[in-house]
Amino acid sequence: MELKNSSINDIRKALDGKEISVKELTDEYYSRIESADKKLDCFITLSKEQAYKACDKAQEKINNGQASPLTGIPMAIKDNICTEGVKTTCASRMLENFIPPYNATVMDKLENEGIVMLGKVSMDEFAMGGSTQTAAFKKTKNPYDTTRVPGGSSGGSASAVSADLCTAALGSDTGGSIRQPSSFCGVTGMKPTYSRVSRYGLVAFASSLDQIGPVAKNAQDCGTILNAICGFDIHDGTSAKVDVPDFNAKIGKDIKGLKIALPKEFFADGIDDVIKTAVLKAADEYKSMGAELVECSMPSLKYAIPAYYLIASAEAASNLSRYDGIKYGHRTEKKCESYDELIKASRREGFGDEVKRRILLGNYALSSGYYDAYYGKAMALRQLIRKEYNDIFEKCDVILTPTTPTTAYRCDENISDPVKMYQADICTVTVNIAGLPAISTPCGYDDKGLPIGMSIIGKPFDEQTVIQTANAYEKNFTRVLPNID
Amino acid sequence: MDLEMVKYLAELGKLDFTEDELKKASSDMTSIIELMDKVKEIDVTYDALADNKNIYLNDLREDFNEPSMPTEKVIANAKNRDNCFVVPKVVE
Repeated sequence: MELKNSSINDIRKALDGKEISVKELTDEYYSRIESADKKLDCFITLSKEQAYKACDKAQEKINNGQASPLTGIPMAIKDNICTEGVKTTCASRMLENFIPPYNATVMDKLENEGIVMLGKVSMDEFAMGGSTQTAAFKKTKNPYDTTRVPGGSSGGSASAVSADLCTAALGSDTGGSIRQPSSFCGVTGMKPTYSRVSRYGLVAFASSLDQIGPVAKNAQDCGTILNAICGFDIHDGTSAKVDVPDFNAKIGKDIKGLKIALPKEFFADGIDDVIKTAVLKAADEYKSMGAELVECSMPSLKYAIPAYYLIASAEAASNLSRYDGIKYGHRTEKKCESYDELIKASRREGFGDEVKRRILLGNYALSSGYYDAYYGKAMALRQLIRKEYNDIFEKCDVILTPTTPTTAYRCDENISDPVKMYQADICTVTVNIAGLPAISTPCGYDDKGLPIGMSIIGKPFDEQTVIQTANAYEKNFTRVLPNID
Repeated sequence: MDLEMVKYLAELGKLDFTEDELKKASSDMTSIIELMDKVKEIDVTYDALADNKNIYLNDLREDFNEPSMPTEKVIANAKNRDNCFVVPKVVE
């Protein structure tokens, strides 16, 4: 079977029509990973034993006519989502040998659906970065140009989907970590509303911002995965008690009269012209479909980067204090006389530079004498950003922005300059700060053939309209596929 | 950010740096804090009441028993002995 650009729907038809068995399909993906992943470095762990066991179960379901939409679909899972019995490293020396004794809730849900997990994919260490180059191992490359980054932190997920090393993947998004790599790799990625998807078993980075979501070939596939992974979970205290609709129910419905907001600050200096042009051209296409474009403003955007980094790092500093080298995670081989010495040596050896910087920044923002000026101010800005989004949504249905200020950059750029690295998140962080749902889908290519992504942001819990809007554009957009063979 | 502050923050975070690493961290943190200082330009105050109005403290689940994770699987990720974690001596 031709795997190239196969969506969940394509694979579903082939499996249900008995054109291919789940095992044959899994073999094909593993053989593709064998040849192509040498150039891309997406997979940290291949879980073949578990995958082939899942194949048998999935095939039985299909043969009995009990297949659900994801039964037998080969997926890759970001390596910060706990998988029982399969290493979950967060691309960190700290968790290099960590085998979770339990599944994340999303994994239980996907296993119930009958997916085939091919393996675990790389990311920035502890999801801290936008390039997958802060990974302690498997620094993933972009399938459109292997000298360039795939974005991050879910760079392994996006690169693997783009290069057809899996049909779809799970990522996580704290400040753009699903949408930005999806944009760089020319695929579609969605961050659901905060609290839609259980975070139980997602290794915590910044708990008030983290959210698990899909990376896939198109918006409809994202909806199909969301249908499987959403819902209230008793194991996550922030999980929302809200109904889970069919996220694809509005697909194909006319978008005539849909009000699309274009906040002018997202199209200002600092965003490459080629990106502005591509996103505004997409806006015009929406207009020609009958949507109404509404100009609006988000003045607080200029404070978004510091507000985000102060909140995220403060939470990270607290969350990462659990790594003491005792209960799990890297433990130094050095002979230590005291508890304090053991913790410090283990953390010194286990954490990379970026993780250490975030811990320093978080402790600074929370420390006595600086708390009000930094963390307190960031929390006030969080309220202001939410208010500005609410004001826009009083008059509009969705918001359209670029996903990134540039297309994929070279692997050696930005990595030694944290400030430059942080500023590149300008288009995505406000969505996490406000807890909104958003999708990134391709809308063009630059002169080097690198993908450009646009983001559609929705009202809280209105993933349906976000998916409907993205799908309306995708129907008339022809993707240029990467060529890594 | 001066070296003393970096040392203080490193101690809070149980991080251990060599002298050279401290200098590098001090330089990195100086540029990062410059970026963070942007928040000082705007006059806004956090309203804790507004953020917490939707948190219902009585909305709690019933207590119930659930099986724990198997001890051997949990300690398998750590240095262990007799079903316990091994730690350095903490009392004199």
